[in-house]
Parts: sequence; structure tokens; C-alpha cells
Amino acid sequence: MTEPHYRFPPAGAYRLNRCLHALKADDAFRARFLADPDAAMGEYLLEAEERAALVRGDRDALVARGAHPYLVFMADLRLRMARGTQTFEYF
Amino acid sequence: MLVGAFACPHTPQLLVRPETEDRDLVLRVHAALGRVRRRLAELRPDALAVIAGDHIEAFFLDAVPALAVYVGAECAGTFGRYRYRFPIHEPLARAVVEQGVARGFDLLYTQDAPLDYAFFVPLHFTMPEPAVPIVPLHVNVYLPPQPTPARCHAWGAALAEILGARPERVALMASGGMSHFPGTDRYASPDFDWDRQALETLRAGRGRELAELTGEELDRAGNIELRTWITLLGAVGDATADVYCYEPSWHHGNAVVEWPLRSHPRSAPASRAPLQ
Repeated sequence: MTEPHYRFPPAGAYRLNRCLHALKADDAFRARFLADPDAAMGEYLLEAEERAALVRGDRDALVARGAHPYLVFMADLRLRMARGTQTFEYF
Repeated sequence: MLVGAFACPHTPQLLVRPETEDRDLVLRVHAALGRVRRRLAELRPDALAVIAGDHIEAFFLDAVPALAVYVGAECAGTFGRYRYRFPIHEPLARAVVEQGVARGFDLLYTQDAPLDYAFFVPLHFTMPEPAVPIVPLHVNVYLPPQPTPARCHAWGAALAEILGARPERVALMASGGMSHFPGTDRYASPDFDWDRQALETLRAGRGRELAELTGEELDRAGNIELRTWITLLGAVGDATADVYCYEPSWHHGNAVVEWPLRSHPRSAPASRAPLQ
């Protein structure tokens, strides 16, 4: 059987998922991340490889480490909205 | 009593459109959502019960409920620059949780959880004037193991009995779908054929067939969120679907649907007793 797209999140990835959740849902944390990514990721005790993958926005590497794909997706969208590097139309 | 039933997408790009999103498509979906708003204005519900899957916003890995009911006086949330707050129809929400538990559904309830954009996006586009209080109903769609489609359908059937016995006029709305794979390597390849076939099934009034799907089938089709629709289908039985629109974008099948229900005209103001 093929792997499902959305898997049970492994406990070993809890801190990584918590950090992605904060990037998606916590405006103050997102601002801290944008100002100083390493210090912000330090709040969640992320490992070096997790930090590197998150800074690169490397979805495949994050998911391979147990990140929930939806959290990766929305953390990325919220960062793009906050950075203002892309134009958005608000309805 | 149940007076209306709808399904609406909550694709965030309908609210916050990046330049990569086809503007005309977004406006066509807005127009279909505007039709829902006008229908709700005609139906004059006392409350809008919204079935949505929280996107790991209120319910993170510290506590993952399968089914939940928001029972506070109000609920609020944020999404980007949007700050929203809705009154909850408290007596109705309380009846749903109490009678749901009495019927064997071990529901989580919350008086404080934040309200995710899965609820906000359809409410932003469909809330009639004057606004009505809501009853937010969460179904876990993103964190495996999710409730089975059969369980969602059974919960919807129970909801119909609970709401059907109430004096309030209640419109049901399922939020989500159709095919999309956010955060995966299939993001640009939704299964639009699967969606179209499912819509034909719904048009034919055979919605209960969706309750026979497995969670694996929903995952393969990019339709894990259809659990919210399947919950609603448990409530509407064999009603046939009126598909307002199906708009496949490069990453998402956007469908807006109504299941017209037997009409319950709002009773006319009581006439004066004849003078004797």
C-alpha cells in the first residue's frame, strides 16, 4: 500500500511541528522568526538539520523528518504574506 | 428544524489572493458564495451550524479530538489581517453537545478554542444580513487517525435528529473540499475527475454512498476534508444536490453546493383573534 499523503505525526517531530504551528498561528513568533530565525527556532530546540531545512523552506526535507505537510504549507504561506515579497489581494 | 444545507470551500486564496491565483476563477467562486448568502437571507435561519475541519489551529498535537462543538458565548480568531468574532447560538450548541453525548458520540466541547479560517472563509462570504449566531462543529480531517466516513455520516444523522427537534430554524453548512493536497508533492495535481464523479453522485441524491468510502480512499483523492460534507450528508439523507459551481484551480477543486430541503415557511405574524 502506498503511503498516505497525511501520516500520523511521529512524536520525534513534535518540536518541529510545534514550531511550524507557531509560524502559522502566532503573529509574534513569526515576527521573531523573520527578525532572527536561529534565535526563534532555538525557542523550540530544533536540531541543526531541522533549522537548515526550515530556513531553506525545504518541504521534502521537513516532511521526511515528520513535519505535517499542511503545517509546512501554511507556515510558508503565512511567511510569504508577512514578508510582503508576493502581492496579495484581500477580499 | 433544518431549513437549509450547503457546502462551501474555504480555500484561503479565495480570501487572500496571491498573484498566482486566477482572479476570474476567484470571482466566479465569490459569485456562487454570494448566491448562498442570498439563499440564507431568504431562508431566515435563527442559527448557522458550520461543520468544518480545524486546520491544526485550535487543536494541535497536545489534544486531538475527533469531533468537537464550540459552546461558548462567542468565538473568535485571526487570519493575517482579518480579525473576526461571531456570537454562538448557545442554547443550540449546548443541546448539540448534551444530546450528542446522550446518543453515544463522545464529543469534545470548548468555550475558548480559537476559530480557524476553515470556519471564517465561508462565513466571510455567506453570512446574511442581519447576521445570525453560529454553532461551530469541528471534524478532525488533518490529523490521523481521523473519524471514518461512516462515523461522520452517523454523526450527521444524529445532528439532523437533534436540530430537527429544536424550535429554531437552523441552516447547516459544510466547509472544505474538494480535491487538494496542501503541502505535498501532489499540490499541483488534484483529482478533479474524482470530484466530478462525486458531484454526480450527490446530484443523484446518492450521498450516502460517500459514507462507504474509506479514509484511505479520501486521502488518495485529496479529499480528506470531505468528512465535513459526509457529516452533512448524514443530515440531509437522500436530498439531491444543486451544484452552484465547480471551479478547479491549479491546486484546488472549489465547489459550492446546496441541498434544497423541504420548505419550512417562517410562520406569519400571529393574526389577531377574532373579536367576539
